Amino acid sequence: MSKHNNSVPLEYQGEENDLKIFGFWIFLGAEIVLFATLFTTYFTLVNRTGSAPTGPELFEIGPVILETFLLLTSSFTIGLGVHAMRLGRVKPMIVFYIITLLLGAGFLAVEIDEFITYVDHGATITSSAFLSALMTLLGTHGAHVTFGLLWGIAIIIQVSKHGINKRTANKAFIFSLYWHFLDVVWIFLFSFIYLKGMM
Amino acid sequence: MAQLFPKEHVLGFIGSIVLTLVALSVIQFDLSLTAALVILWVTAIAQASLQLVLFMHIGETDDKKSIYVATIYSVVIGLVTVFGSLLAMIWGY
Repeated sequence: MSKHNNSVPLEYQGEENDLKIFGFWIFLGAEIVLFATLFTTYFTLVNRTGSAPTGPELFEIGPVILETFLLLTSSFTIGLGVHAMRLGRVKPMIVFYIITLLLGAGFLAVEIDEFITYVDHGATITSSAFLSALMTLLGTHGAHVTFGLLWGIAIIIQVSKHGINKRTANKAFIFSLYWHFLDVVWIFLFSFIYLKGMM
Repeated sequence: MAQLFPKEHVLGFIGSIVLTLVALSVIQFDLSLTAALVILWVTAIAQASLQLVLFMHIGETDDKKSIYVATIYSVVIGLVTVFGSLLAMIWGY
């Protein structure tokens, strides 16, 4: 465990803070396995399309590129948010966190629109095994982003109320880990569902 | 202002955009399945590592060894789940 001195950033200071961050990494390990099992289901059922639309028929590159850039940029801005926090600059930190959540909301809007388009093409979660697996995987990621938006709002409220201290810095940093992780998951969805599906 | 945009973060962001564009080449050009999968795996792993190391600061404290072990362990379990299932159910072994 870390030495409890002032050489580490504020969010790690104190044994409780340090352990919370370590514990969150363990949680992210469980999340990796969760998404791996959903990917397994998807790869196993990807060709079981029945009479419903297939991946190549449904996937459109435009919205997918937009989603990718929204999420990549949001991952960058929350990184800048943590950097501002470490400089003790509360205002820029809050601005970066707000931009992050707006980009996340934009991502979610595009994804919801994509799901509506799928359903318009007669592709619902019960249409085929492929679509059940696809929508469960994409939906689990989308649900994580939705939860992240609510969590992020709570973080912004707390930081604007109490400023940057050991407790709020710790919470804001853990939220940033969660948000970056959602981007990591998206990279795999983007590469192995959409791009591979459109090849 | 410049202080708020550290060089590593900006370069990391540009790097992640470049990797995305490289990944997009698999649908742009007529590549063999093997070549395309190699490109997708290399870019995805590079992107994920970039996020973990640069933005998530995976290696910045004394806990880094335990964090690396926990994360790599999860990744290995995930890969075994994915490829073990494919091996048993799809690839026909």
